[in-house]
Amino acid sequence: MALRRIFQLASSLKEIGNHYLKPLQLARPSLVASIHTTSPKLDLSEFFEDKKNWTKDNIQVGRAYNQAELRLKSNSDLHKLWFVLLKEQNMLLTMEHFYKQNHALFPNPERIDKVKISMQNLEEVVRERNRAYWQLEVGESGERPGEERHNQIGLRFFYRKFEHNIPCEAHKKWARHHTHQYRDKEVRRFLLLLNEKRWQEKRRALNRNRRAVRTILRRYPDVDREALAAKYPDVDADHISIQRSKEVRPHKYIPPESS
Amino acid sequence: MRLYHFLSDVKQVGKLTKKISNLPDSYIQRAMEQVEWKTPRGYPWYQKRTVGRKKYFFDADRPWSIDFKLRNEIGKHNKPYVLEPVKDWSFFIGDRVEVLVGKDKGKQGFVVEIFEERNWVIVEGLNCKLKKQEAAGKTFHLQEEQPLLVTREISHVDPVDLKPCKTEWRYTESGEKVRVSMRSGRIIPMPKKAEATVDYKAPSLYIDGEKDTPSAEMVKITFEPALKTFEMEIMEEMGIQEDRVPAPSYWY
Repeated sequence: MALRRIFQLASSLKEIGNHYLKPLQLARPSLVASIHTTSPKLDLSEFFEDKKNWTKDNIQVGRAYNQAELRLKSNSDLHKLWFVLLKEQNMLLTMEHFYKQNHALFPNPERIDKVKISMQNLEEVVRERNRAYWQLEVGESGERPGEERHNQIGLRFFYRKFEHNIPCEAHKKWARHHTHQYRDKEVRRFLLLLNEKRWQEKRRALNRNRRAVRTILRRYPDVDREALAAKYPDVDADHISIQRSKEVRPHKYIPPESS
Repeated sequence: MRLYHFLSDVKQVGKLTKKISNLPDSYIQRAMEQVEWKTPRGYPWYQKRTVGRKKYFFDADRPWSIDFKLRNEIGKHNKPYVLEPVKDWSFFIGDRVEVLVGKDKGKQGFVVEIFEERNWVIVEGLNCKLKKQEAAGKTFHLQEEQPLLVTREISHVDPVDLKPCKTEWRYTESGEKVRVSMRSGRIIPMPKKAEATVDYKAPSLYIDGEKDTPSAEMVKITFEPALKTFEMEIMEEMGIQEDRVPAPSYWY
């Protein structure tokens, strides 16, 4: 409901202006207010783009933060940057929805991806630091454990473990819902057929590549063999027979060599 | 039907195309993919399947454009083309090249556009075709440059004698990768225009926007190593004290 209200407000924002939002200003604790360094806007307009950008078709921004750059920054800097990025992402997603509602093109949608990449890199840097601490102090990575397991139909998957306050043997409900093994005869037959299907796919891919190499050799007989081998490593171009058919021809007519 | 791989479609887009556009891979993937339907993710009773276009038709339209999308709509058949593999791409925007075919054979010009997905290059003012256009009841004839294949229709120009030559990638003594003319052994310098993207002519000429971090600020080192996790340091900074010892837990 709250979200819908924001969007309703947003659609009327253009005509009425900012003063409409004033009664909705959020109360702010006095302790935080004394040390804040962010922009003084405290209303819902923080969910929206700056007003001067509303009519622009192109809002140019730089690239995402990479991990090497973020490694230089202290933990408190990263903590602040995370919330800057989060607010930016919220703003961009709101604006994307807003433009969609008004049947308009959202300018520079790649900004969302750039923010997401920055956030991923930031999280990776933080995890890296935590891992170093845990390896040094405890000898473990300190991350959520997990391992590869098989499900009931014999397919592999990565199981991410959960934290429980009773041991596995005592937890009957968990055991009832988690069967990480297979011993059925039907499952074995299914796996056999699945394996066969995967082999067929592999064989078809090889045939497809062989056909592609043959087509290239027909069209361009003097093709760079090294490049061909690099692109199709599973095909031996020297052992492919080329019959010049009527379907595939070079662009130009090449007269046959007279002996 | 295919198993869907993360960022699988963007692999078909050329490296130079991505570099010139300055767009992240995930955006290009998001903009170009044509998905008919997808099984719901996160439920064990659905296998991960995506039905959609696997092989895309590339042209002068950029993969994130609406024209590309229309061209590659699901169910649309495009004329297949044979693509010759190129091992080391050696033509860049701003290069002086000689045209080896067509009515402009033997003429030299500069590369203005590259379509790496088709091995195409557009040379300024050469290999043109007349194009008829109608606007406001009047007919115009426009000269339009046609693409040339990098593998056989153009050639680099040797800086010594300004004649076409074959090139090779080699390393200098300082470890720099350069293009060298096979005939004279002279290095063919990389043009200044090659480093231009849609956002800047050269990386040093980029003007910071309002939301960009200044490079002086970005280089500043504020990290001080300490024997603390991220959470411990933030808690200390905020004055949060936590003395409770967690109960033993089991991971499974």
